Amino acid sequence: MNPNDAFILAVGLPVIASPVIYLIGRIATRKNPKVDLARWLALLTLLADGYFLFIAGMEFIQSRHELLIAIGAISLRLDGIALLLAAVVLALGTLVTLFSGPAVARDNGRETYFALLTAMIGTIIGLGAADDLFNLWVWFEAMALCSYVLVAFYRNEAAALEAGVKYLVQSALGTVLVLLAIGLVFANTGSLDLDEIRLAAQPSGLMLAAGALFIIGFGVKAALVPLHTWLPDAHSQAPSGISAMLSGVVIEAGLVAILRALGALHLVTVSWGALLLGFSAVNMLVGNLMALRQTQVKRLLAYSSLSHMGYILLGVGAGAVMGSEYSAAGGFFHILTHAMMKGLAFLAAGALLYSLHQAVGNHDPLVLDDLNGASRKYPLAAFAFSVAVLGLGGLPPLAGFMSKWQIFVGGFQTGNAWIMALVVFAALNSVLSLGYYAPLVNRLYRRQPAGIVEQGRPIPVLMSVPMVVLSLGVVVLGVWPSLADWLTGPAAQSLLMLFGG
Amino acid sequence: MAEQLILLTVGLPWLGALLCWAAGDRHPRLQHTLAVSFSVAAGIAALLLIPFGYERPLVTLPIGGAFGDFTFSPDGLGVFLAAVATVIGSLAVIFSVDYMRGEAQLGRYYAFVLFFIGAMVGLVLTTNLLLMFVFWEITALTSYALISFHNDDPKAVAGGIKALIITQFGGLGLLIGALVLFAHTGSYDILAVIANPGLLPSGALAWMAFGCLAAAAAKSAQFPFQTWLPDAMEAPTPISALIHAATMVNAGVYLLARFFPAFEGVPGWREAVMAVGMLSALLAAVMAIVATDLKRVLAYSTVSQLGYMVYAVGAGGVFAAQFHLLSHSVFKALLFLGAGAVIHSVGTRDMRQMGGLGKKMPFVRLVFVIGALALAGLPVLNGFWSKELILEVGLEHGNPLWMLIVMLVVSGLTAFYTFRMVWLVFYGQPRTELHAHDAGLAMKVALAPLALGTLSTWLLAGSFSRLLSESLPAHRIAAFPTGEILREVLTAPVTLIALLVIGLGLAAWWQRDRLTGLSQALASLGKAAANSFGFEAVNRAVVAVTQDSAEKLRSTQTGMLSWNVAYLVAALIVVLAILALGVGLP
Repeated sequence: MNPNDAFILAVGLPVIASPVIYLIGRIATRKNPKVDLARWLALLTLLADGYFLFIAGMEFIQSRHELLIAIGAISLRLDGIALLLAAVVLALGTLVTLFSGPAVARDNGRETYFALLTAMIGTIIGLGAADDLFNLWVWFEAMALCSYVLVAFYRNEAAALEAGVKYLVQSALGTVLVLLAIGLVFANTGSLDLDEIRLAAQPSGLMLAAGALFIIGFGVKAALVPLHTWLPDAHSQAPSGISAMLSGVVIEAGLVAILRALGALHLVTVSWGALLLGFSAVNMLVGNLMALRQTQVKRLLAYSSLSHMGYILLGVGAGAVMGSEYSAAGGFFHILTHAMMKGLAFLAAGALLYSLHQAVGNHDPLVLDDLNGASRKYPLAAFAFSVAVLGLGGLPPLAGFMSKWQIFVGGFQTGNAWIMALVVFAALNSVLSLGYYAPLVNRLYRRQPAGIVEQGRPIPVLMSVPMVVLSLGVVVLGVWPSLADWLTGPAAQSLLMLFGG
Repeated sequence: MAEQLILLTVGLPWLGALLCWAAGDRHPRLQHTLAVSFSVAAGIAALLLIPFGYERPLVTLPIGGAFGDFTFSPDGLGVFLAAVATVIGSLAVIFSVDYMRGEAQLGRYYAFVLFFIGAMVGLVLTTNLLLMFVFWEITALTSYALISFHNDDPKAVAGGIKALIITQFGGLGLLIGALVLFAHTGSYDILAVIANPGLLPSGALAWMAFGCLAAAAAKSAQFPFQTWLPDAMEAPTPISALIHAATMVNAGVYLLARFFPAFEGVPGWREAVMAVGMLSALLAAVMAIVATDLKRVLAYSTVSQLGYMVYAVGAGGVFAAQFHLLSHSVFKALLFLGAGAVIHSVGTRDMRQMGGLGKKMPFVRLVFVIGALALAGLPVLNGFWSKELILEVGLEHGNPLWMLIVMLVVSGLTAFYTFRMVWLVFYGQPRTELHAHDAGLAMKVALAPLALGTLSTWLLAGSFSRLLSESLPAHRIAAFPTGEILREVLTAPVTLIALLVIGLGLAAWWQRDRLTGLSQALASLGKAAANSFGFEAVNRAVVAVTQDSAEKLRSTQTGMLSWNVAYLVAALIVVLAILALGVGLP
């Protein structure tokens, strides 16, 4: 198959398939409520999409030539960053689709769920590959639309609706800022094409303002502190599979949007990298401190996402500002490992939430006390959860250690005292994060189970499969980190090209 | 051959860990068998590896990039510590067969013990500093998991988390060291920087040297990080013997000894190392005198003895430090396992409730007394020879005399608290009605070799010095035959003084009733020691401040949209201001 066609299909298939999945799923469910065609169609779509992405991606990796495509007004570019984001979102999305079957089976509208999930995956792939500002904005908005509905999926729950509305309002405000920024850039350079803007953008007050609007506008989605206030509600109220997606890829997609926009403006000022590093420090500290006192498991994980966004920012920020390839590769490696670890954590928490609460028909949140002694009844989920949070805390031999390490190495290689100090600060934050991860693990392995655990239902097999896959992945990448080099290396090179080559 | 042996010594325990875990808690007998066979097999592999210490073969797993190649090379230091870890590890596992009989979640217990043994071997055999840090952290992870093995006990959970966080905090030093090394040389090769410290600019080398000192102090429970070790005594006793006495806590001493040739030229480093060792030895010995929990006394004595080793490295006596490490591993494992047999039998760790147990547990008393005499440093046990060697080093290389005097005083204190402990547990009249029985078969099987080792490992002095001397050229260790080393110790004046001080310590315990005036005068010191000289207060304050600021920060999450939007606008203004000022990295 022609790699260019494969690339078009990889971007287009999920978006086109989404309404089909909905329609067929809906019809099938009306005929027989037990049939759940939507889930399997979605899975099939994603697997096929993975095949197309593989063909296009291999072509890019082998030839080192970016794939460029224009269909009318839509222009797409497959570079290292686009490939990494697409691979991560497809892999995690497939596992989440597999996981979500039992969890949403008893809820009305599961065909909506799978159709929107597929569409969201497609829009994120498109966002990563967007080659001009307008397309970037359209993909970004499309992704946001899918995610609002998914966050408020439990539409009879007041808390879920509240989370959805907050998310919607804050994101909408961000969208307005982004539109303003695009307007400013267009007025100044007369172009929306990222490459043309790179050549035309000159330092000026208006272009600085445009950059600031991009950072804040996209930054709402990327959960930069203090724009993050929607996140704990949204991540904890969404269905667990969606929490995994939001934390594992959607906020990272927001970051990619920022990088694309700032990359086009990189000649305007030297401050972009410094700003990213500044947000990195604030994100790490605030995320960790906020997580420290949480009693709801999913909220705790949501706050920990803030701090991990801080690590990613440290990597890509140092890469952007100092041209450090290890930093950039480390940042992208952390996007990958964080998606795996946080995805795993949310899925494991989701499996426990399902068996302890949802399967018996209540919508209470999963709190820390519910975890007590869970390993006795749910050894797999407890083990997976432990692997996930210890990996997030940066303990070897788990993947999180290695990706943080790569970020740190890059930081020290720059030789810049500020960045080195930030690396030490980041390492200190890892130690601090163990203050809330470790007690979680201790709870899971108590001998005296909580009452709610004893009455819990079993975890369905389909929910267990993704947990096994992700746990294995976290361990394998922790032992053999260079396995991910083929993906993170090109992404790092693309980032360095964006910020000055 | 050497390659396979290296992989076996690391791999066998890890494979055993997987199997014990997979065997499932419904088959405890199978788990015991698996754990014992895999740990013993690893022990044999490690012993077979010793001759290869002279050849120093290199095993490389190509990883590359930011991670360097994963390399292993057994030299004298490495094979010796690998043997200590696996042999004492297998004895601790054998002891566990009795100690942990009937416990729930055996799979988790054995999996972590074996995981630890493999990681400890990897830590001492690798020559890649990143990989060393990886194993370093894995040992911290397993130590934490085993300290809080009884997760239902809040003290065990707190102890585990405290150990984890303090060692991780200190571990930042090693992290910085590895990053500095890579940033300047583009590799993590330890041997290169040891052979030629000039690879790094002096400023970078100093960062690395003091970073490693901080990491070593945290790992070996030295001043000012010593507080985690006493609380780690909530672990099952075989774990205390293995991880918190004989192996993991030695990793810090190993790190300092390994890098000694690279760091000795860093201004102030040797003095700092000696000071850390001396302060740890002194403070811990004083705390051991007032402690009433049997395992805590042993924990303080571990800190104190590790202080001797750290002091010795700083004083330039790498061989003396490692020789004492060997002696200490054997006799302290013996003491801990003996204490474990006592605790398992009577069900309490409080020495005030014991007394007169010797009659009921004659075997345990015998081996415990052997270990205690070695700890006190009495001839002809292994602890005597190695401690005297350390004190002798204190006189050489122009080391400050006052530090040596402090170390001599500590040896007197050591004798005092050791006799106090033995007396309170095994002699005198029973203070409460305790049901006691002698050790079981598996316990005896584990205790007997350690007792024999305590009586005899000093005979290895000659071959040990030859091994280190030949395989560590950069360390400039001189090789002497055993007889010469022993003659040197016996004829040194320091030995005589030390024996006198030890005798004084012994006499002080003997005549404790007549010394009431002195003990009253020292009461306030005792009170300070019981409160661990304020270090616990510092720990608590740090935790309180962190928790408090975290709690206060929660008020920023108002849940009100208008505030959320206000933050957004404020952030926009700040970003605009930063851009307007054109802030960049200098």
